[in-house]
Amino acid sequence: MSTAALPLAEAPVDWQALAARARLRRRLSTAFLYLAMTLGALPVLVPYLWLVTVAFSGRTGASTLVLWRTLAVILPALVLASIVGMAIEDQRRRRRALLLIGGAALALLAIVTGPYLHLNNWRFLWNPDVADALKGASGVGTKFPSVWSAFFNSLAIAGAQMALVVVVSTLAGYYISRFAFSGRPLFLQGLLVLHAFPAMTLIIPIFLMMYWVGLQDTLLGVVLVITALELPFAIFVMKGFFDAVPWEIEMSAMTDGASRRQAFLHVVLPQVKVGMLAIAIFAFLRGWEEYVFVRTLLVAKENWTMSLYLFWTITDVMGVDYALVSAVGVFYVLPSVVLYTFTQKYLTQMTIGGIKG
Amino acid sequence: MALFLGPACLLLFLCFLAPVVVDVLLAFTDMGRNLRITRFTTENVERLLTGDRRLPGVLAVTGIYVLGTLAIFNLTFALVLALVTTAMPTSAGAFFRAVWLLPRMSPSVVYALLWGWVVAPTDYGLLNQTLQALGLPPIDLKSDAPVALIIVANGFIGASFGMIIFTSAIRSIPEHLFWAAQVDGASRLAIVRHVTLPAIRWQISFVTIYQALSLLVSFEYIWLITDGGPFYDTTVYALYVYQRAFNNGQYAYGAALALGLVLIGITAALILWRLMDMRALLQRPRIEVT
Repeated sequence: MSTAALPLAEAPVDWQALAARARLRRRLSTAFLYLAMTLGALPVLVPYLWLVTVAFSGRTGASTLVLWRTLAVILPALVLASIVGMAIEDQRRRRRALLLIGGAALALLAIVTGPYLHLNNWRFLWNPDVADALKGASGVGTKFPSVWSAFFNSLAIAGAQMALVVVVSTLAGYYISRFAFSGRPLFLQGLLVLHAFPAMTLIIPIFLMMYWVGLQDTLLGVVLVITALELPFAIFVMKGFFDAVPWEIEMSAMTDGASRRQAFLHVVLPQVKVGMLAIAIFAFLRGWEEYVFVRTLLVAKENWTMSLYLFWTITDVMGVDYALVSAVGVFYVLPSVVLYTFTQKYLTQMTIGGIKG
Repeated sequence: MALFLGPACLLLFLCFLAPVVVDVLLAFTDMGRNLRITRFTTENVERLLTGDRRLPGVLAVTGIYVLGTLAIFNLTFALVLALVTTAMPTSAGAFFRAVWLLPRMSPSVVYALLWGWVVAPTDYGLLNQTLQALGLPPIDLKSDAPVALIIVANGFIGASFGMIIFTSAIRSIPEHLFWAAQVDGASRLAIVRHVTLPAIRWQISFVTIYQALSLLVSFEYIWLITDGGPFYDTTVYALYVYQRAFNNGQYAYGAALALGLVLIGITAALILWRLMDMRALLQRPRIEVT
């Protein structure tokens, strides 16, 4: 643009108009990106939204009425909000306008979906026989366990596994970070190979070993297996954090009369709290969602985890009461999503450890 | 202080090394449904190499599934997501990345349940409702295009892995390179082609190998969504191994089949390890492992 505009003094360039046009073009391309991304995100988000609406409104069938109504309110509100967000420059006025749109959308949502909402699908929380009452041809034979038994089993597996991963990998990470022992390079390389190695391929021998030592169909067996699978990654993360703690801190603690152990516990550990937190959350989520090993190793109904409870609810009750299945699904997915949302900052940097495809 | 390393070594030995040995031994036994070993034999290996008529079909499905998912979603779509979300304002980009991480974060049983509902051929199936609203004929993905179904279902999850790796890689490209390209009059596409892609070449090959490996061995979602069906149409190799052992009770043959996966796993792990710059990785100070 400059070659044409600069030498001709008699034809003054309208810089204002140029800037305005550039701004407009930038806004349009941004709007296009947003639109494409939103449309692309719909196939991911809508099914989850559907699950939630059915859980709170369905009566046996998986009706999509409430879902479409909800979308009919939310989508226009979103479009309106983004237009308003781009059009109003003043910050305070923009926030007020957005609040107004949000409030109006919520009120409208309450009006169009309100009459359909009810909590009856959540009766499995206080009535453990609900699945038995509904199911016809049963895949599991006799009684369903209470959902709370499955809930606490999942909690126990996820919690125990989390504690083990954090303790074991913190100790190992510290040792690898600080000590020169013979075979250290070999150990590190082996760890790296293990990290990439897919443990899923070993499910048959793992099952048999558990069977031979009597840990098959016990929660402890599952906890040990999942812990081991998480370890290579967790040890690496912790080693990295320990590497970042300067050696001098420990040194000065020991000069002041602390023992090696005290220096580790009171001086170094507080420095790596963030790393421990990150692997703890990751390990917990991993244990909470576990399905393949749980399905293979656990049989007895009193050992069911939430994943098995939901799976058998789907298998047994499906076709009879989709709404109940939805409620169980929401109940199961909620802890994951909440924990994930609040800790996303740490987790997005750690997904490399997941073995999922 | 050696106690520090002990628990980790023990667990890693018990759940990685010992199972590999057990698997190799098991492949040469006759273990069946009763979980007892009566004699040692090479029957399983012979059957694996010559006698399993089901195997060629399973391998073909596996190839299509792995290559298709990898090419369409785990690389291309992941790259698109990374490029677009990094071109957006930070908070909006983070939001859309979070959306695409949702399938990975939600438990597999829930995810599979949703897919089952979405593609259901009945009136309430979300996909068919949408198609009908657009004036298109309804389809029954589960029986008409089951391979496409498992590719898309796994791809929605797989895309987020590459997205995260590529995003952090793009972020670490020095900004002045983009400015220089812009001053030289490069278009957006030209910048992507000549600045961004060459800069993240290493990450692309890493994601390719890592994801090829994990697609090859993971069968969780296929198991839950189609269970290998209809007939054997979506039975990939890893699922076939599992079904032979745990559904048909042929543990020894399953172990022999798994040997193939173990070998592939070890090879790919070694390639990955070669690919990673050892020294840089070992001295990495923070959690980003790449």
